[in-house]
Amino acid sequence: MSRLPRSLRQMLTIARRDFVATVFTPIFLLFLFAPALMGSLSALGGMSAAAMDDSTADKSRIVAIVAPATADMMRREDVRLRALYRRDDTPSDLLIQSPGRDPAAQARALMADRTRDVDAVLYGPLDRPQLLLAPRNRRTGDYMDALAQATLAAERLGGDLPRVAATRTVVERRTTSITGQHQAGFFAVFGIFFLTLFLASQVVGTMAEERNNKVIEVLAAAVPLEAVFGGKLIGMFGVALLFVGFWGTIVTQVASLLPPAAAGAIGDIAPAIGGPAFALLFAAYFSMAYLLLGSVFLGLGAQASTPREIQMLSLPITLIQVGMFVLASAAARRPDSWIATVAEIFPLSSPFAMAGRAANAPQVWPHLLALPWQMLWVVLFVTVGARLFRRGVLQSGSATPFWRRARKVG
Amino acid sequence: MTATWAVTAEGLVKRFGERPVVGGVDLRVPSGAIYGVLGPNGAGKTTTLRMLLGIIEPDAGHRTLLGEAVPREASDRVGYLPEERGLYPTMKAREAVAFLGALRGLPLSEGRRRATDLLDRVGLGHAVDEKIRKLSKGMAQLVQLLGAIVHQPELIVLDEPFSGLDPVNQEKLEALIVGERDRGATILFSTHVMAHAERLCDRLAIIAGGKRRFEGTVDEARATLPSRVHYLPRHPAPGIAALLPADAVPEGDGGWRFTLPDAGVEPVLLPLIAAGHGIAGLTIERPSLHEAFVRIVGDHAGHDRSAGENRA
Repeated sequence: MSRLPRSLRQMLTIARRDFVATVFTPIFLLFLFAPALMGSLSALGGMSAAAMDDSTADKSRIVAIVAPATADMMRREDVRLRALYRRDDTPSDLLIQSPGRDPAAQARALMADRTRDVDAVLYGPLDRPQLLLAPRNRRTGDYMDALAQATLAAERLGGDLPRVAATRTVVERRTTSITGQHQAGFFAVFGIFFLTLFLASQVVGTMAEERNNKVIEVLAAAVPLEAVFGGKLIGMFGVALLFVGFWGTIVTQVASLLPPAAAGAIGDIAPAIGGPAFALLFAAYFSMAYLLLGSVFLGLGAQASTPREIQMLSLPITLIQVGMFVLASAAARRPDSWIATVAEIFPLSSPFAMAGRAANAPQVWPHLLALPWQMLWVVLFVTVGARLFRRGVLQSGSATPFWRRARKVG
Repeated sequence: MTATWAVTAEGLVKRFGERPVVGGVDLRVPSGAIYGVLGPNGAGKTTTLRMLLGIIEPDAGHRTLLGEAVPREASDRVGYLPEERGLYPTMKAREAVAFLGALRGLPLSEGRRRATDLLDRVGLGHAVDEKIRKLSKGMAQLVQLLGAIVHQPELIVLDEPFSGLDPVNQEKLEALIVGERDRGATILFSTHVMAHAERLCDRLAIIAGGKRRFEGTVDEARATLPSRVHYLPRHPAPGIAALLPADAVPEGDGGWRFTLPDAGVEPVLLPLIAAGHGIAGLTIERPSLHEAFVRIVGDHAGHDRSAGENRA
């Protein structure tokens, strides 16, 4: 058998072993369902926070001290203005009181009330109102201004403001909007970053198993180290695909149960290259991002000889990923800038940036160049990682990582 | 000589940093033979085997493995049991054997079938579906050995295969080695236990101080030392020492021990009989491989221990 088919066969044998050894364990179930656990905890936390928020909101009020003749008008305007706000952005409930002998003292007394939180108190004539405001309630103050103004206008117009409702016609865009493209770009960059952050860093400790079990000697005798590294990378990539496939299926099934109107909630996401091509390129660039980062992490992790050293690597590894995300995000925001070009060419950020490009530009040819370019770097990183391992670990036998050897030389 | 060589090595040199470990080893392993590489601890045996297999590259010298100048090209035809055993502890015994075969090109389904047969043959039929971590060290070692032969390789390289095995398993291993040789495979194994080499080897090399000190058959190795004669006179008398060779020394049983002369024992015995001492007992003892080894290795043993060996 010639060299390449043999290496591929050996690579797949190792990949299969790693995949099976990872997937058919109870720990993998924990890993697979981690997002569900995370989601449940987030939902619980969110519900608790919302409950706390609601209970706080129940006790918060804005108060207007106005004459009884104006009170009804102000209530009507309050209802009209509130309809313009989102539920979580609505001002606190309005409480209207009639003015006493000293409205200013009455307002100060309301602000000092310990039985409820009063965010703002408006008093005085509506054309020259006074407003007492609790700290960090600037928007509430703006609302009170608008409420006073609307009530005054209604008063001057004899009790009601005219109601105007335009005839509405929805016009679908024939081309994707720039906002939609940018949203799609950010979605692509963040999606790949999110997935690789969770999945690619697992590769870092995979060679430790072979070193601890001494299996590496058998593997190294039977298989080129490049094939060992490649096999381990593919095996863990298989695990990542299983994870993404599992959750992708669940998410799409849940999405299909949602009413069509809910699709509008995800906004105007519209990639310039078109939906199907964008989905394909997203999958391709996720694969390349995983393989690129994974090959670097595998090479670094193979140099580490103890679990402690592997743990120490987690910080620089996360920083590398965050760095690539920041670079690619900047590229997605400014698609035609020099930073976009740098991010698209630099191998580790290239998959992120090119996914962003797919959202922002309709041309296909850059992707036909980028994918082989990224693959070339995967091969390069695997080869360099294997050679460092052969020199640093197998040949000297003392498991001296390259950074220690560099220190000795220094 | 018309034999084909399964393994050749010329002037293999390896240094780890400033420390020389192998200093120019030559080997020629005939196809179909059981060939032993003997040497004291730290002699460079493991490093030599690792260079032959292409796990590490020599600093100088050439080697061929089954006719291939690049050992990797022959890897599917080679089986290897390293000195430091290594298996995945969560793998089942049959899967472990099949996996090691698959690395060398044997389809997994066929590997599983052969693994079941082989495990049964060595008395591990009950452990086919046991995880490696549940097996004893000796059993796991046998499993790994089966992984080295499951693909029926032309060359089997075993590094200290008997270490860690009890006598029963050592016997099983010897039978397996002989069986593989009878199948037509070449066996190259390292050991520092002379008894195994004496029983198994068709030829052997003795390495000490990173260099080959001897190459030949077991008999040729023994022949590097003269045989010893133990003579017990029927009628001991004070003048007997004058009739014996100069190196003769008395023994506690009234007998004498001396080196067998090149001309044989008869020229010594005839004067003794004529003088009336007679022969109550006579034994000619050939030196053991152990004695030959100690003699050949000699002063190099001290140096060897300082050389040490390394691997991941």
